Amino acid sequence: MATLFTLNLVTPRAIASLPDSTKGSPIRVPYLNQPWKRILSPLESRRMQVRAAPDRLSEKVEQSIKEAQEACSDDPASGECVAAWDEVEELSAAASHARDRLKDNDPLENYCQDNPETDECKTYDN
Amino acid sequence: MAVCSAYTTQSLHSTCSISTPAKTHLGFHQKQVVFYRRSSKRGGSGSSSGPCVITCSAGDSQTVVIGLAADSGCGKSTFMRRLTSVFGGAAEPPKGGNPDSNTLISDMTTVICLDDYHSLDRTGRKEKGVTALDPRANDFDLMYEQVKAIKSGVAVDKPIYNHVTGLLDPPELIKPPKILVIEGLHPMFDERVRDLLDFSIYLDISNEVKFAWKIQRDMAERGHSLESIRASIEARKPDFDAYIDPQKKYADAVIEVLPTQLIPDDNEGKVLRVRLIMKEGVKHFSPVYLFDEGSTISWIPCGRKLTCSYPGIKFHYGPDTYFGNEVSILEMDGQFDRLDELIYVESHLSNISTKFYGEVTQQMLKHADFPGSNNGTGLFQTIVGLKIRDLYEQITSSKTAAPLEATKA
Repeated sequence: MATLFTLNLVTPRAIASLPDSTKGSPIRVPYLNQPWKRILSPLESRRMQVRAAPDRLSEKVEQSIKEAQEACSDDPASGECVAAWDEVEELSAAASHARDRLKDNDPLENYCQDNPETDECKTYDN
Repeated sequence: MAVCSAYTTQSLHSTCSISTPAKTHLGFHQKQVVFYRRSSKRGGSGSSSGPCVITCSAGDSQTVVIGLAADSGCGKSTFMRRLTSVFGGAAEPPKGGNPDSNTLISDMTTVICLDDYHSLDRTGRKEKGVTALDPRANDFDLMYEQVKAIKSGVAVDKPIYNHVTGLLDPPELIKPPKILVIEGLHPMFDERVRDLLDFSIYLDISNEVKFAWKIQRDMAERGHSLESIRASIEARKPDFDAYIDPQKKYADAVIEVLPTQLIPDDNEGKVLRVRLIMKEGVKHFSPVYLFDEGSTISWIPCGRKLTCSYPGIKFHYGPDTYFGNEVSILEMDGQFDRLDELIYVESHLSNISTKFYGEVTQQMLKHADFPGSNNGTGLFQTIVGLKIRDLYEQITSSKTAAPLEATKA
């Protein structure tokens, strides 16, 4: 499970950096013989970055937990400790909402909400 | 929608003025705009040549305001989705606006998250060592001003608190809806905001159940462990007890969630005991009751007519006092396994404000995937949603009746 996560994190970033490096330089086609290794267009790289956003939130949650544990090791009753754990709670809530939103994103449902009269979306109730 | 009517005032033909909102004999707030039109020297044989006064009144200044208070991770969003579904339609974030907006808009309702009124963003709170639960982190003056404005039919520019970045984003426009729901940690904390609420609900989750729910929510996250979840709850508890918990005595309805009494030593938190505590004497709100209003009754629906699986269902209803107020408490312990259990229970409850037989069951089935759909949390949230619809209809019919009486008098 951990390796799967790291793989997801590494790949989009590596590919996303490619368009930046080719900006401004003459058009190169290094992968003519290997079309599956084509350079991702900026639009596609942006899309991959969007998919990694919940991972970004997950990283924030992880980091905030570490920070809270550090803040509380000195003085468990201090304002910093309490505020740090409150931040953990807020980020966990945001992460769980983001996860729910991802779960609800059915492309067919989204299309049918806007176009209920199309053939794919018509419902016959009786 | 605003109703505008134009009048001509021949007397004011030399000055141009814009008057401030004034109450007319109808009692609606109006904005009056005076347009000065240069009168032509030719003709003018009796026809109007003076400036026109156009008065616009916000006809739906009948915005009903509902307050919903609960700690984070306690089912506010589930309740909101059930509530908006009772009115019809799904609530969605405003189209074309900030994607991290917390606001939800449907045809009849707009849900505002009170986190948007944080005066300190995440870094500000960290510096001061203050949690979001602390009143020092919230701008109650702005909250009061804006809720008052929306209630009287004026659109406002409400700030946005971005939960992902922890910063305060540029404001978004909120137009007055028919029903405004303000949900968050402090809807009933400030006295002025409390007076604006037509109905208020508090979700009171006991510590054991809160811990179980947060484990369910957070264990999928990397970095979280049982200790970190427990530490987070413990650290927030002092502020929660000092600032959030006292709000429950002001609520018109409290949904209290406790561990079940049907299974001895249960610590999984799957079966729940839910109590709906309804304040007596609230305008336009008549509490739900079982069999006979004002009497005390314990009821186990499972028996000859209905077979239930373990641990079964147990109901209790009776009058009581809660923080010095007269209340009626309806309690359900256990869970529903089948549709016929739900419809059987619904047919024996009274004053649930349904428009047809089986409406509660239908609403629960519509959202069978929501958490709590098989126990008292879903049932009571749905019933409270129907009571709010009933309250809204009573308020709007009484408001349309009042101007008619004024014109008759």
